[in-house]
Amino acid sequence: MTKTAARAKSAVFTRKGIQSTLVSVAGIIGCPVKDQDGRDLGKLVDFVVRHGGETYPPVSGLIVKVAGRRAYIDGARIAKLTKDEITLSSAKVNLSDYQRRTGEQLLDGDVLDHQIVDVNGLRVVRTSDLYLAPLDKEIRLVGVDVSFRSFIRRIFPGNFGRKPGVDQIIDWASVASLADDGGVVRTTATREALSKLRPADIADIIEDLEGREQSALIELLDPDLAADALEEMEDDELQGLLRGISDERAAELLSHMEPDESAEVLRDLDEEHSESILAQMAPAMAKQLRRLVEFDETHAGGIMTTHLLIVKESDLVSDALQLLVDNRERDISDGVTVVDSKGKLLDHIQIIELIAAKPSQKLETLVKAPFPTAVSIDTSLDDVIEEFSNNRGSSVIVVDEKGKPVGRILADDIIDAMVPAESSGLAQGTGALS
Amino acid sequence: MSSKLDSRKLRLGAFLAVMGPGIIAGLSDDDPAGITTYSQLGAQFGYQLLWTLGIATIALILFQDLGSRIGVVTRQGLIGLIRQKYGARSGMLSASALVIANIGTMTAEFAGIAAAGNLFGISKYLTVPIAAFVVSFLVLRGSFARVEKVFFLLASVFISYVIAGFMAKPDWGAAATGLFVPSMPLTQEALFIATATLGTTLAPWGLAFIQSYAVDKRLTKEDLKLLRVDVWTGSLLTGIIGFFVVITCAATLNVSGQTSITDASQAAEALKPLAGTLAKELFALGLIGAALLAASILPLSTAYAVTDLTGRPAALDDKAHEAPLFYATFGAITVVAATLVLIPGAPLIRILVLTQILNAVLLLPLLLYMFGIARDSRLMGEYRASNRMVAIYSVIIALIFICVTTLLWLTIAG
Repeated sequence: MTKTAARAKSAVFTRKGIQSTLVSVAGIIGCPVKDQDGRDLGKLVDFVVRHGGETYPPVSGLIVKVAGRRAYIDGARIAKLTKDEITLSSAKVNLSDYQRRTGEQLLDGDVLDHQIVDVNGLRVVRTSDLYLAPLDKEIRLVGVDVSFRSFIRRIFPGNFGRKPGVDQIIDWASVASLADDGGVVRTTATREALSKLRPADIADIIEDLEGREQSALIELLDPDLAADALEEMEDDELQGLLRGISDERAAELLSHMEPDESAEVLRDLDEEHSESILAQMAPAMAKQLRRLVEFDETHAGGIMTTHLLIVKESDLVSDALQLLVDNRERDISDGVTVVDSKGKLLDHIQIIELIAAKPSQKLETLVKAPFPTAVSIDTSLDDVIEEFSNNRGSSVIVVDEKGKPVGRILADDIIDAMVPAESSGLAQGTGALS
Repeated sequence: MSSKLDSRKLRLGAFLAVMGPGIIAGLSDDDPAGITTYSQLGAQFGYQLLWTLGIATIALILFQDLGSRIGVVTRQGLIGLIRQKYGARSGMLSASALVIANIGTMTAEFAGIAAAGNLFGISKYLTVPIAAFVVSFLVLRGSFARVEKVFFLLASVFISYVIAGFMAKPDWGAAATGLFVPSMPLTQEALFIATATLGTTLAPWGLAFIQSYAVDKRLTKEDLKLLRVDVWTGSLLTGIIGFFVVITCAATLNVSGQTSITDASQAAEALKPLAGTLAKELFALGLIGAALLAASILPLSTAYAVTDLTGRPAALDDKAHEAPLFYATFGAITVVAATLVLIPGAPLIRILVLTQILNAVLLLPLLLYMFGIARDSRLMGEYRASNRMVAIYSVIIALIFICVTTLLWLTIAG
């Protein structure tokens, strides 16, 4: 496990002396809490942390069992924290039962033994232990341990159960804890770490997560990244996920996805649900998606992407290039679609032709054969495939009845349209065998 | 598109997609140990104690329903949830007890296969390794969807008990009276068999299995209504098959005075002169199907529990290198149990009795954990158990507590 070792060396764990000050949360729960004169006040039940965007959240309070009650003691009153004892700076205890406030997380109650996302390891794991250490004048949550060895260690009583397994620790900055009271833990560090992952990896993590944690992770992600990840998910997983999140959030995510992908998702949802999601979208987007949803996947209109980079013949080459640069994130940015003054399709111009031309040249000068293959919205899938194989182009343009371009079908859309049919056929075949 | 037929077809399709956890987990409870108990119930007491089977079925419905719902809502297995809610020690203890009990129960399933094979004159040194291989091959090689189809196929073998039941020409009036009018001879044997009926129908591994299986099947809250239909169907079928085993034995063995049956294969053998060779063979065939189904579910239930405990939940669709622990557990349980059955002179009877005790002891804490999880609004949200359901669960748990302590007392004292 060289990966684990490398991980432990990051951030706070490089600071001198911090390893000797680590306190195991699992080990200290149930230990005595004493006042400044060393008299027992009660037993430690839990630590309360508040997430305020800090990478290593400070302990804001303790829950201590005093005279049968779960009393809250402010974190500022902790005078000394050792591996099996907490000493307070005063003996005053407010005996009212602790009530959770929003944004508060209990380390034993909400994080220990719960599922978390290990961003570096790209997996969902259960926490075996958590570690506290004094850092920047406060006691903070600095590390998490997900090893089975540490879990086994906790089964045993006494000091052995409290010994931190230092080589097993993952820096708290690299995990996303998703268990809290319904709100979302937003540690800047984890958001950053998550944003560095590939959408496909995030999709894998989402599929591994369970229930509430799943929607919590979605909330944590930037909508663009979340949308990219959703496009990578299995259909039935995605359906389940959309049922678990609010319609607003679902609308936001679907708006960020490629329209043809969103339409495919909406088509599979039941009508009531898809309508309530569409109702939360910007009207223009909802209108576009409604139209797409109506086309079924056996026709050009159902498999096309509606993202087109449309330019007029009177525009300049430099305008077209700028448009391409602005849309460089999208996989359709391999060229521009040129239309005449009435909006009718003239040509599709590849990026290489634009680069070869002078920036001040008008696009009409580039309009010439070979012209792109155009099909109408209701062309059947089989005919589209035939067009593809006849012309050997990378795409066909879909036009409406007036000859205006409304979408484009790329080679990978064709593959997407063909693959589900193929694989379900295979599944039926094996089903009959077994 | 709007015709009624289409929407009905659609609904049936949706149900078939959700169907599985309830039927498979339920029917696997009718394993050889279960069939033995039902045979004894019928052979010893005729139709009189059928009502205990009715109660066992109700308890099965309630807790399988709860388990599947917890699985769907939390998307976690029972052992993982116990670790999360009740701490490391509770999780570890439950998982360890479950693993040991499951090895014992798996041994019982292989013993059932060996006994049923004997009825057809096939040696256990042939039947048990073949069964172990078939079960492992099926689960290790198949995708989730394919494995599930084989489970359904195995479950369909249970129909043979229904046919055997009709062939035995039972007294339907007496059966109805026994089912709906509770009466109890106050003898130690009656008490023992009544509690054993409850204990064999509601099994710890079945409870752990249905929850993990619902998670693995990736069912969602939208599926809960259909899942409930599946669970009720499965549990009722489990009860109905038990009912037919009881009346078969009641109409034949009990009437002819052969009341002391020690295992299901002996019951099958005794059926031959009374209801014909076909009835005997149907009974034996059902026994093999029952044992194979349970023998597939048990290692699976154990593997889910172990991976759940370590916090790296695995799924049937995972490849062996993705989930080594899952498949290692599966293999280990199968091999150990098969070996125990095949070793000449292994204390098989003692293993089976101890397993029965362990299962009974384990059942109570598992039910209490489930009870606690069901009432936890942070875990269950809007699906938290209502006050009425909490009351019903309490009654059933109290009843099971009485049965389990009685069973323990009778087993240990007797």
